[in-house]
Amino acid sequence: MEYRSQKIAYWYFAAALPLFVLQIFLGLYLAYSYTWTVPQSIVDVFPFATARAMHTNLLVLWMLLGFMGGTYYIVPEETKSEIYSEKLAWFQLIALLATGVVALVGFFFGWTQGRPLLEIPRPLDLVVVVGALVFLFNVAMTMIKANRWTAIQGTLLGGLVFLALLYLFGIPFYRNEVIDWYYWWWVIHLWVEGAWELVTAAIFAFVLMKMTGVERHVVEKWLYVEIGLFLFTGIAGTGHHYYWIGAPRYWLWVGGIFSALEPVPIILMLIDTMMHVKKREAKILNPLTWTYAVGCAIYHFIGAGVWGFLHTLPQINYYTHGSQVTVSHGHLAFFGAYALLNLMTFYYAMPKIKGIEVYDDRRGKFGFWTMCVAMMLMGLFFGVAGVLQSYIERVLGLGFMTAQSYMRLWMGIVFFCGFAFLAGLLTTVTDLLTLRPAKARA
Amino acid sequence: MTKKIAFWIFLLGTLSSAVVFLALTWDTHKQVAVLSNADKIDDRVVAGKRAFEKYNCNDCHTILGFGAYYGPDLTRVIQRIGDEGVRFRIKSPELAFANSWRKMPNVHASDAEIADMVAFFKWVNEINNNDWPPQDSKKRLSRGEQAMVASVGVSPGAAVFQSKGCMNCHALHGTGGTFGPALDTVGRRKTTEEIEHYVKDPKSVNPKAMMPPQKELTDRELEEVAKFLSNLK
Repeated sequence: MEYRSQKIAYWYFAAALPLFVLQIFLGLYLAYSYTWTVPQSIVDVFPFATARAMHTNLLVLWMLLGFMGGTYYIVPEETKSEIYSEKLAWFQLIALLATGVVALVGFFFGWTQGRPLLEIPRPLDLVVVVGALVFLFNVAMTMIKANRWTAIQGTLLGGLVFLALLYLFGIPFYRNEVIDWYYWWWVIHLWVEGAWELVTAAIFAFVLMKMTGVERHVVEKWLYVEIGLFLFTGIAGTGHHYYWIGAPRYWLWVGGIFSALEPVPIILMLIDTMMHVKKREAKILNPLTWTYAVGCAIYHFIGAGVWGFLHTLPQINYYTHGSQVTVSHGHLAFFGAYALLNLMTFYYAMPKIKGIEVYDDRRGKFGFWTMCVAMMLMGLFFGVAGVLQSYIERVLGLGFMTAQSYMRLWMGIVFFCGFAFLAGLLTTVTDLLTLRPAKARA
Repeated sequence: MTKKIAFWIFLLGTLSSAVVFLALTWDTHKQVAVLSNADKIDDRVVAGKRAFEKYNCNDCHTILGFGAYYGPDLTRVIQRIGDEGVRFRIKSPELAFANSWRKMPNVHASDAEIADMVAFFKWVNEINNNDWPPQDSKKRLSRGEQAMVASVGVSPGAAVFQSKGCMNCHALHGTGGTFGPALDTVGRRKTTEEIEHYVKDPKSVNPKAMMPPQKELTDRELEEVAKFLSNLK
């Protein structure tokens, strides 16, 4: 840590981690509900819908906290100056957390906007917007005052502004369900395949550069090409969500072609990471952070690239749309692209903030491998359930519950994999919050 | 490749995709009005959408394929189970799903809200969305007909004839109703196309016809039943 204000990042990370744990507990309830009967009396009070709203919103909340913390850690080093206002950073952390807690409690009492992933009620949306504006102001002012622009800063700021702007499309009430879904995807798709990719690409480039000692101009050149391709394929690729919503037929072509290209920038990211590994000039001090970086690049490619490609073509998507195949892709992609990226950032920044040069990574390694293996298995079993559902319900036309009864076994296995994932996560969280220096190795 | 070229790749890539996307967005807005029958969105449909959102239905069910996957898709729910089926399931899920191993919460929606939701689903039912979902496509036979074809080995047209109530009025080989004419040799008099036309709208052929138009048959069912009947000679 070179600048005092970087310390604020620690509290963003520390706030994000327990939320991640809570997300998994709710996930277990969801998998349980798919496999066994939850009695009517419990369903009436705590339905699947409420738990699902919590599961997904916790994901968004902890990941955004991670991105913001990551930003507050990176920006001082990139601009070679302190954060514009530490007080604003604190205010914004507390505001976001308070909004999150109120929203979660609100869901329990049925206070919701009622649109998947955008359940946060409209009055709270305003608080989110104010928080986002404060954040952007703080980051932008730091950069403007320092006036030492780099591609990493530009990408980061661009991604964050884009992220905030898109959120606005999720706030209005749309009278037409078709138009509703049309703009719903401006938030969801353009976040995860646009704005979030920009933010992660910038964070990833920063960590890669710092860890490998590869020169800035090389890293930033790759960064430009990658984000260019991410946005080229990602923006028009939104069309793969417009096949069956009542939008014009040309979206089958536009969505199919652009999204078939979506794996390209991810492959590029993978190649570029591998090349930096080869050409690294600095000694890797903390192998676990490095494992996270490489793991993230590979998992990102599998979960988002391969799994996304598998069911993005209209001919296949006609049968897999809105089935557990989507769930399989969602879990692998979010974990691979964003959970691992955030955890990599935590493992990079938290030891530095604590002043630990080389940390003891024995527990962390166990956590990493347990989570990665458990999530891969979950992805595969969700996928098996999804293929069964597509075939039985959609191809054979045998009815929803008939298909569900064949999927029960696989959802039950997912439930048990969830416990393995939880064990890995609890180890990781404990490790991150109680990092200690490694004993000198003989 | 220099950093400058890389920057241009970024700029052109982003802008070209954004231009395509925004242009198509503009066009989509115009076309959606027709594809979704936007002129039929009245206050009840909107109230139904609000109720649908108020009770967070979409976090268990999908609609147009989006949402959660815990309950069945609702895009063609009206076609599948009808107004009354929807009403009963929302009003008394504890009865509707008493024997199911998966339950639906009773959200205590008012009768007015339920009626609004039915109006909303009726409107959604008619959206022209490239014939999704496949299980509710009008290009396929119903589940009962498929089962008959598979288990009894009858032709698809015969399955439609038996399961869609044709035999309440018409007879074959002396079995069936007597309200309408027996159809044992109908194929001698009419072609497949003529039968298809007649079944769809009897009065357009014979103004005195008593037979009601068979509107609930899917395109595939109509085609199969006409093929079956035209072969009876």
